[in-house]
Amino acid sequence: MNPGRKYYLVLITFLVLQVVWFNHIRLFGYYSPVVFIYPFLILPLSKNESSNLLLAFASGLFIDIVSNTGGVYTATAVFVTYTRKIYFITLKNPTQKIEEINIDKISPGQKIIYFFIFILLSNIIIYFLDSFSFGLVISKWKDIIINSLISILFIVFTDLIFFNPAKR
Amino acid sequence: MIKLLRYLSGRQSFLLFVLLEIIALILTIKAHDYALTKTHSLQTAISGNFNRTIYGVRQHFSLKSYNESLIKQNALLLKLLQMSKIDTALIPPTLPEQYHFIPAFVISNQYNLQHNTLLINKGYNDGVQPDSGVISTNGIVGVVQKTSPHFSKVISILNKNLKVNVALKQTNYSGFLQWPGKDPNTFEVVDLPVDAPVKKGDTIVTGGMSGIFPKNIPVGYITGYQLVTGRKSYKVSVKSFSNMTALGPVYIVKNRLKTEMDSLLKP
Repeated sequence: MNPGRKYYLVLITFLVLQVVWFNHIRLFGYYSPVVFIYPFLILPLSKNESSNLLLAFASGLFIDIVSNTGGVYTATAVFVTYTRKIYFITLKNPTQKIEEINIDKISPGQKIIYFFIFILLSNIIIYFLDSFSFGLVISKWKDIIINSLISILFIVFTDLIFFNPAKR
Repeated sequence: MIKLLRYLSGRQSFLLFVLLEIIALILTIKAHDYALTKTHSLQTAISGNFNRTIYGVRQHFSLKSYNESLIKQNALLLKLLQMSKIDTALIPPTLPEQYHFIPAFVISNQYNLQHNTLLINKGYNDGVQPDSGVISTNGIVGVVQKTSPHFSKVISILNKNLKVNVALKQTNYSGFLQWPGKDPNTFEVVDLPVDAPVKKGDTIVTGGMSGIFPKNIPVGYITGYQLVTGRKSYKVSVKSFSNMTALGPVYIVKNRLKTEMDSLLKP
């Protein structure tokens, strides 16, 4: 399948999964995985991120409108899409250009760390924007980490099945 | 000026990022502000239509449990009817026809956030108004925040901004029920006077003072309590009767005399 078409299929699938399923399940009575962020983590990096940011904004707004959550998911999607570029700028060789980094080609270990950092960040932002209280985010650190771990399990599993470079 | 424009044009992505984040934050803050958003809402209408489709599929699989819940409710009503014939003290202290109940279904229910809301499939076309209470067969659910023609957004009792007037069933001492933000079935009652006789296992019911909920709707039972020394009051832990993670049929409580009550309470 055309990579662009495959990407949009993944994006739509994850957005629908988040609003139809993940926002309604309560694993162990409490945890709702945050998986909608995955398509933004695998977006190709580019020098000008404007189109990626607009895509993240539209996708986050879709979840917010359907879930009646104001702009919580919009802010999270835009934040993650922008800051991941900063993450790769700090990691890359000084001679390497940002658009030369291929997320598919980074090692599995680095990929899991990358996913975990941004999924954790997403959970922190969602908890914070929901409560507007740093104290509450700190008091809920265990729940945030457990929710991030559950989310990453699903994301890594999907990544291995559908985006494993060895399969292509 | 030209230098500034040149500098900014090189940071197009950053400027767009800031702009989009500001828009998202404004949307979030607006959604948080209960006082400003007690109106009809376009977002409620869109969200309601989408969730109604999902709800249709879910409802098919939940019919058995809803039926069981309605059978239990019928049994309880029959029992109350029998009791009211012999004990008039059990009749709630409200005027005849003061409260009207509009049946509805929960089509979307949040309980993993700190400021949870839910959507129900009745709106202002059905006579639902903001500030109406919502109850289930097992207890209170929340308060209507805003309405669209066919849907209403309800502030769940699992929302840290919501405080509901409740009382000890036996003695009528009252306080405020609030959600501490963790377990969806555990609440706390604050500002309960220090001279109130508090016991584990005692039932907490609605106090009925706000006019949002009728008096004596069961809320939960006491699992523990502690004295708040500075405030000379009790803080009581309550296990709720209703399961907020599995809501189906609910009733919107319409107080026909609320406007009259509120007009007298205004300073």
